Amino acid sequence: MGMLRPFKGLSQAGVLGMNTRNADIIMALNPRSKFPLVDDKVATKELAALHNIPTPALYGVITKHGDIKHFHSITESRDSFAVKPARGSGGSGIVLVKERQGDILITQAGKSISTADLIYHITDILSGIFSLEGHDDSAIIEALIHPDDVFSSVAYRGVPDIRVVVYRGVPIMAMVRLPTAASDGKANLHGGAIGAGIDMKTGLTANAVHKSAIVSHHPDTGNPVGGIKVPYWEKILLMAARSLEMTGLGYVGADMVLDRDRGPLLLELNARPGLAIQMANRAGLLGRIRRVDRAPGDIFATPESRVDWAQQNI
Amino acid sequence: MKRPALIVAMALIVISLFIVAYRIISLGYPLTPAKPDYVWTFRFDGVLHGTAKDSLLLLSLPSEQHGQIILEEGIESGSMSFNLLKEYDNRIGVWSGRPGPEGEYISYKASVLLQPTGAYTPVVPPRTSYPYGITTGEISLIEGLMAPWRVLNFSARLQVVLNLVKKHDFSGPQGNADLLRLGEVLRKYDNPTRLLVLLAAVNIPARTVEGLDLVEGVVGKTFSWVEVWTGQGWGHIDPERMEITSSKTGFLALSAGGMSAVRASAGELSAKRFELTRNVMSRWRVFFERASRSGSILDQWSLFRIPPEFQQTFRILLLVPLGALLITLLRNFVGFQTFGIFMPVLMALAFRNTGLFYGLAMFTAIVLIGYVARRGLNRMRLLLIPRMSVLVTLVIFCFIILALVGNKFGVRQFMAVGLLPFVILTMTIERFFVVVEEHGMRTAVETTLGSAAVSVITYLIIQWEVLQITFFVYPELLLLVMGLQILAGRYTGYRLSELIRFRSFRDGA
Repeated sequence: MGMLRPFKGLSQAGVLGMNTRNADIIMALNPRSKFPLVDDKVATKELAALHNIPTPALYGVITKHGDIKHFHSITESRDSFAVKPARGSGGSGIVLVKERQGDILITQAGKSISTADLIYHITDILSGIFSLEGHDDSAIIEALIHPDDVFSSVAYRGVPDIRVVVYRGVPIMAMVRLPTAASDGKANLHGGAIGAGIDMKTGLTANAVHKSAIVSHHPDTGNPVGGIKVPYWEKILLMAARSLEMTGLGYVGADMVLDRDRGPLLLELNARPGLAIQMANRAGLLGRIRRVDRAPGDIFATPESRVDWAQQNI
Repeated sequence: MKRPALIVAMALIVISLFIVAYRIISLGYPLTPAKPDYVWTFRFDGVLHGTAKDSLLLLSLPSEQHGQIILEEGIESGSMSFNLLKEYDNRIGVWSGRPGPEGEYISYKASVLLQPTGAYTPVVPPRTSYPYGITTGEISLIEGLMAPWRVLNFSARLQVVLNLVKKHDFSGPQGNADLLRLGEVLRKYDNPTRLLVLLAAVNIPARTVEGLDLVEGVVGKTFSWVEVWTGQGWGHIDPERMEITSSKTGFLALSAGGMSAVRASAGELSAKRFELTRNVMSRWRVFFERASRSGSILDQWSLFRIPPEFQQTFRILLLVPLGALLITLLRNFVGFQTFGIFMPVLMALAFRNTGLFYGLAMFTAIVLIGYVARRGLNRMRLLLIPRMSVLVTLVIFCFIILALVGNKFGVRQFMAVGLLPFVILTMTIERFFVVVEEHGMRTAVETTLGSAAVSVITYLIIQWEVLQITFFVYPELLLLVMGLQILAGRYTGYRLSELIRFRSFRDGA
């Protein structure tokens, strides 16, 4: 590690840094005009439906303060549902309700909140508190995910989600984010969730990253996080790869969940996926990006051919 | 992708440096404008005695026609009245009236900046003239005798005259009878007059100048010397060596053209003294005086021309882009986290009123109070805009309390918050709260510390007077800053903080 080239180690490992991601990848491949497709979850849902990509069932959308009264009619017949800001980022503003006891709602994380509290939360969402630019927002009420049991031994409450980074339609890296007690049931790495890398070819999980340390066992359940075979792996990769046709964005993070009954569902697409996935996989994104750039032109023809190439070559 | 940015950045940098170089080389701008330069203070004192009611004192004052820039001047005239007169190149102060029974104390004081030689040239080149008192008979005789030399070039003509006066030898190599007669004619005059007569006879404009040696001290009277017109300016003739030295650098000219520098009529002047002192003055200030009198377009459109009460604002504004460049460097090269781009800059501007210590202390205290209040507000279920209004009111209420406490205990800084900071503080409280909620207290505190560090550094930069003055004198440096900003924007390498973030890769590699 020379004094003159302090970054040599990182560049040899093919690590993607924040500046390169912003300037050379996102600005080059993600046209600004396409951002609304992924920044608004309602738009993403509609687009996904057009491309036969399954998403959680939509119960209703509240777009203005006057519509809040519809909240009751939307949720009346449901015991469980999820409330999300349509333009939220990083999982903020999401409330997952798993059951109701009269006027009291029990969240996925086990807290109880009153309906009035939740309605106040929805007014916050509508006022744009959780939106990226602070604009007015709408609130989505959709089906609560019933997570597949495959990760139940390594998830503390909450719903694990699978993040696949897709470069020019080719899935190049994936991880599963597992909630912890510290993350309050959210699959958010900032919040303390752990991220386990997934082998692209086999769909087997490896060791995980927790904050910035490598861990082999879940901090709360104590079970090993590696060696779990992700079900529907090829379908997951294919759904992620279709994001190119769906949005026209060349660099996307596709977030998916595994539903016990419906299999993999697309939660949202992210036009500015984070860099922490590299730690979870102990591999650099830039190295894989360069490999995709050197791939023969015909592999980019269909989502299937891209997934096929990725599984063979990454 | 990278090329156009590089070309634009380089073009901006080159244009900026070109204008700076042009100012320095062609317009004589100072290379280091913040360095000190010298200003001379000229002072004349005297007491005028006289019984007549129309006593007069005429004093030749420093004048721009002599290549002197008068920064400020003041007079003392007692019961006498004062007027200014122009007489050829001279500026004459006239005190008139009846001096008191004990004599009237009169004084004049001026701060004078000397233009570099050649910076000032009269519009109309001077003409040759003979000194007063010489008869037309003598003139035609001398002109006839000097005729052979009049056809020579300028420097040869000048040399002949200087040699004649220096050696006072009119025998000449030829032993010419005409020369001897010339010597005869000139015998009754002193050296300066001889020079003036002979120079006029060979068509070289010349004049006598009265003034002072440019050395610090007090003298009782002025002295005179002869200057010749060299075509570019007035050249001083050293009376001992009879050589031309560059004028103005070593002398303070007061009166040109043979007039005496101090004249009194119907009265008598006593206790007469001339005093010169040298003062240090920042070079940009010196330059400001020069630029505000220049006709060059770049000087005409200089920031020095705007009224002084607005200049201070621009001195600060010119450095804000530098602050923005710095934030780019700290964020994209080092990896600091800050609340947005402008908040640290605005904080730095706010610190100008309160000072760094009080500014940071007040900022921290109000953000903490605001955060606690914001937590409370969260339970009250207020919508975004009204909630922000409550926070604004709270922040301003804190300002009021601080001002009252500051007034009671004499802490001025508590009252000097100004208008800007309430926006920053309100936004910071809200952002801080959201970051705590989303990413935890640790990230929020880190971001706050990053913002504070960046604003402190920005504050130190915009308060750095050397930099303020340099940018004020050379506002085109903004183009250079813009070029650097573009270059920094094209830096796509790793951030220093990523060495830590991705350290597991370094060890593994």
